[in-house]
Parts: sequence; C-alpha cells; structure tokens
Amino acid sequence: MAHPGRLVVAGATVLRFSPHVKFRFDETRQRWVVLAPERLLLPDELSVEILQQVDGKHSVDGIVDALAMKFDAPRSEIFADVATLLQDLADKGTLTQ
Amino acid sequence: MKWTKPRIREI
Repeated sequence: MAHPGRLVVAGATVLRFSPHVKFRFDETRQRWVVLAPERLLLPDELSVEILQQVDGKHSVDGIVDALAMKFDAPRSEIFADVATLLQDLADKGTLTQ
Repeated sequence: MKWTKPRIREI
C-alpha cells in the first residue's frame, strides 16, 4: 500500500475537524472560513453546506443523504463530489476520524 | 437546488 495509515473516506466514515483546525463564520469577511496552521481555506457555498455537517456524528452517507434531498442531482454524483472533497481535506490533515 | 462541484480555495 502506498500510504499505510492513510484515512480512506468511505460512506460509513465519520469525520471531524482536527484539533488545531477551526471552522467558523468570519465577521470581517462575512463568510465561512477554515483556519488551519499557516493556511486559510475559503469554502464556496456548497462546501460550507458539507462542512457544517462534519461534526464527528454524521457519516459521509448521512451527509450525502441530506444533500440529495436538497439538490436535484443523482445521489451517486453528489457522493462522488463530497467524497473527493473530504478525502482531499483528510489527506491534508484538516479532517480526521 | 442546482448541484455544482464543491470547491475550496486555499491561501
């Protein structure tokens, strides 16, 4: 395996923000931001919808189910996009299990 | 609502 110990995001995965990362509404910018060490992440509207459900309780499947009821796209498409986004954040250490 | 690929800009 190329990345032993790598967190692989699947439907049953429950994620939360890493201890040193903060997801909050920035009053100055009037937008949601993710504050990580030496990095500022600016999620677009859809990413904010996803990240607001990353709370250590919702599984990826649960997040996708909620989005699939709200948006008119096939669940498989939403799942693929959400999993890609969360996997990228997990690889960077922004999210953890 | 219309679904678009979620994107995050990083600085």
